[in-house]
Order: sequence, then structure tokens, then C-alpha cells
Amino acid sequence: MSKRKNAISHRNNRDGYLFLLPLIVIFIGLLGYSFYFLITNSLRDVTITFRSSEFVGLNNYKTIICDSKFWRSLLNTFILSTANIFCGLTFGFFVSLALNFRIKGKRFFHALYFIPSMLPIALMATVFASMLEYKSGIVNQILRGVGLDVLAQRWLADPRYAIWAVCTISIYLIGIPIMYYTADLTTISKSVLEAATVDGASFRHQVFLVIYPMLKNTHKTIILSMLLGGFREMERVFLMTDGGPGGTTEIIGTYIYRATRSAGSNIGLVCAASIIVLVIAFIISFVQMKLMKENG
Amino acid sequence: MKKEKATDLFAISRKNRSIMIIILLLLTVLWSVPVYSLLKDSLKVNGFQNYIYVLTHQVNGVPFYKYFVNSAINAVLAAVLLVFICSFAGFAFSKIEFAGRKLIYNIVLMCLAISGPILIIPLFYIYKTAHLYNTHIAVILSECLITIPFGVLMMKNFFDGLPIELKESSSVDGATTIQCFFKIYFPLAKPAVINLAVLQIMWSFQDFLFPLMFLTKDEAYTTTVAVNAFKGAYGMSPQNLGRYNASLVLISIPSIVIFILAQKYITNGITSGAVKE
Repeated sequence: MSKRKNAISHRNNRDGYLFLLPLIVIFIGLLGYSFYFLITNSLRDVTITFRSSEFVGLNNYKTIICDSKFWRSLLNTFILSTANIFCGLTFGFFVSLALNFRIKGKRFFHALYFIPSMLPIALMATVFASMLEYKSGIVNQILRGVGLDVLAQRWLADPRYAIWAVCTISIYLIGIPIMYYTADLTTISKSVLEAATVDGASFRHQVFLVIYPMLKNTHKTIILSMLLGGFREMERVFLMTDGGPGGTTEIIGTYIYRATRSAGSNIGLVCAASIIVLVIAFIISFVQMKLMKENG
Repeated sequence: MKKEKATDLFAISRKNRSIMIIILLLLTVLWSVPVYSLLKDSLKVNGFQNYIYVLTHQVNGVPFYKYFVNSAINAVLAAVLLVFICSFAGFAFSKIEFAGRKLIYNIVLMCLAISGPILIIPLFYIYKTAHLYNTHIAVILSECLITIPFGVLMMKNFFDGLPIELKESSSVDGATTIQCFFKIYFPLAKPAVINLAVLQIMWSFQDFLFPLMFLTKDEAYTTTVAVNAFKGAYGMSPQNLGRYNASLVLISIPSIVIFILAQKYITNGITSGAVKE
């Protein structure tokens, strides 16, 4: 009997790893090697040609931790994520709520609010860059048109406004939150809502005291996935301000890209920065998994 | 969304309904600003001729349609590779009891945290060494790699919903696990496979960083990187600005078409890829 059991578990092991083979090959070949590469090179002083390299211990980490530009780009990454989250939890929630009622042109609205999230962000960024242009951009033209000339600013060239101007795209990127909310709104039990209506809950109470708290898990999913999404951002800043003016809009994506492209730079530094970012992202991801497990 | 029943979420007054519609319309106005701005700029100086010019002339020695072809090749191949890897892995994690299953699955889930920018240097080095730099393969592999954790999660969630009895009864009939997968489970997983493939195609069309980093030849560029290249190629004269914006409008078309054709799959796909235990 135990012999047969052994044979089954042996076969299961063989089958299991056979099915995982493609995954394991690509993970070890690309990801595993990448981690190894990042860790070893983060301890070295090395150029992009990888010809000369010198062991420097933890010096690269020290340099990065003392680099105010790195912290600035980390902060900006979180500002962008926060803008995405804020717009998702407000506009995104409202739109999906409204589209759960009988409204004419529902499908049209749904597609309309969704499409910007499907477009290449590179495209959105390019369009917004020209919209926010000082002389001929449509934003300043509208402001001047209604006689608010004083409010027309150099949105992308003024260090005070640049990062906020970059954030404006977030308003249009509510497709993913709408998707999550729409899916979860259908799971809310109608009887609870009916009971609340019978008890005389007004529209406002119904939305903010009943529905919004009931979607707690959806909020969490959106917040955490968008926090992680911040580290993937790159083209928005790259094409709108290219990190300028004076590095005030630099985010992690552009920081790393720029560091790899500047001539004669120390790749070890970039690797150290990547490792730090990776650790932060892993912590967020870990929290996400813990929370999801708690919620069952 | 699945059942298009015309019912309200809960009873609301007529006034509240009107307020909601008004807010939706205000948002629509806000949405139309960039569209208006882009369309207006694309018709600058030469009007509709701009579009014809872009479609019939070469930019940097490459005809415009080539960028679409490149993007499409990348997207489709990345989707095929992703589906291949993730349906195998998702099946293994869901239906086969092997040693280390939990551990490996958790490692894959942790990889959801990995983002493109931190991988560009090591991948750059790997592709240079393997002589894959400046090829579509480099972009396809990278785009696939980034999506694998999500894809595995999604496919596992789907296979979890299929009964294990199918496998047990087929193994009684003497079928190997591989036969059982291809004959029974994979055909049943078709909806999830389509969802995943559509998502990867969409994400490939959106991707900017990997083609920017791993492609330096104009004829290999994808549409998103072409946006960046056009800027330099067209220059800043008003006439060329019109053409440049016309090319942007054209670039947005594939994404909109994909969305309209596959809206259902995109929505189902993303929501079924949520982490659950």
C-alpha cells in the first residue's frame, strides 16, 4: 500500500515539475540571473561596458541612501501612485456606482471612461504635454479665454507645478478601479440595500455608510496594486517633463533609466538603487498577500 | 456587467438620478478636452492631408505601417508565450500535488512586485551577451516575464474552479497527466486563456520602456517608441506638428479597436487575477 502511495507521489512530483518547466526556465534564466546580477554588481564599481570593475562593498548603497535625488524620485513615485489611488477611489468609485443605475448611454459612458486606461500612456503623456504647453496649449488658452490670464502658468517648466501637472493624467486613468468596483458592486446583496432604504437611509447615507464600507476589500486591492504600479511608471514623466525642471519630477523609472544612459556612470550605483526599490516593492507585495489571506 | 438587467442598485429619487447624469456629463466634457486638443492639432495647416501624408511617407526611412506590424508581432508572440507558460504552471499549482508546490507558488506571487525599470540593466546585459539585443525576442521575453506572475495567478484561480474529479477519472482510464491536460482541462480553460491573451496583447501595445531600452533600430520600433522618435524626426514647424499629431491619432487606433472588440475579455481578465487564497 505505501509502495503505491510512494509511486503516486513520485509521479506527481515528476508531472508537477514537468508542467512548471517552462516557468522555471524563464524565471531562473532571466529573473534569477537578474537578481544575482543586481546583487553582485551593487557591490562593485563598474561601467556599462563591464570591462573594469572593482569591489567596493556597501559604498554604492551608502551613496544612494545619501543621494537626495533618489529620495526625491521615490517620493515623486509615491505622489503619482497617490494621485492614481485618489482618482480611482473617488472618480472611479463614483462612475462605477452611477453606471449601476439605469442610465441612458450606459455602454457609451463605460467605454468612454475606460479607453484612456487602454491607450499607451506614452500617447496620453504626449498629448498632455502639448495641452499644458505655455503659449499654445489648450489649458492656458481656455484660461485666457475666460479672462483668467493670471492663472495661465508654465505648467511643465515651473518647479512648483510640474509634478502636479504630471499627476493630472491620473484623473483619466480610472479604468482599472472602475473594473474592480463594477465587478464587486454586483456581489453586494440587494437585500441589505433594500433594508437600508426601508429604514429611511438617504442617498448619501446609502452610498457612504453602506456601500463604501462594504467595498473595503476592493479599496485595498486598488490601493495596493496601484502602489506597486507606481514603480512601473516611466513614460508619463519621461515624455512630459523628462524629470525636469531641475529633477523635481524625477520618478524611480526615469531615475534608473537616466542613470543607465549617462556616459561613464557607475552601474553599481544603479544596481544598488534597484535593489532598494525591489525591497520596498517586496514589502508592499508581502503586506498585500497578508491582507488578502486575512480577508479569505 | 454580465447580465444586462435594467435594474437599479437601490431605489433612488429622480433628483439624485439627474445629479448623477449631470456629473457623468461633466466628466465627459473633461474627457473631450484632450481628444479635441489632439484632433485640432492633427488638422493643423493641411487639414486631413496630414493623415494621408503620414500614411504615405516614410519617417526615418521606415513606412508608417511597419510600426504597427512590429507592435502586432510583439504582442501576439508575447501572448502566445505567456499563455503557454501560465496555463501549464497554473494547472500544476492547482491540480498536481508535488513537493514544494506552496513554496514555489508563493515565490511566483511575490514576483508580482517586480517592475520593469529595475530589470533593465540586468536584462540589457543578458540580451547583449546572448546576442538578442535589438531583436524582437528581447522585447517579447521581457514583456512576458513581467506578466507571468499575474498570468499564473489568474490561470490558477481558473483551474481551481474546475473539479479535480476530471483528472482522477481520466487517470483511472489510464491517461497520463499531459494527455489529461490537453484533452480535458486546456479546452475547458479557453475563456481564461482568451482573457489572458487579450490582456497581454493590450499591455504589449502599451509598453514603452522595454522597446525603448532594447531596440535602437528604427525599423524594429513599436508604435509607442515611434511616438518618441517622431518628435525628433518631424521637428517643430507648424506643418510638421500637424503631421506629428496625425500620427498620434493613428497610433491610438489599434488600442481602441482592441478594446471595443475585446472589452468583455479585458474586464473579466483583470478582475479574475485578484490575489485570493
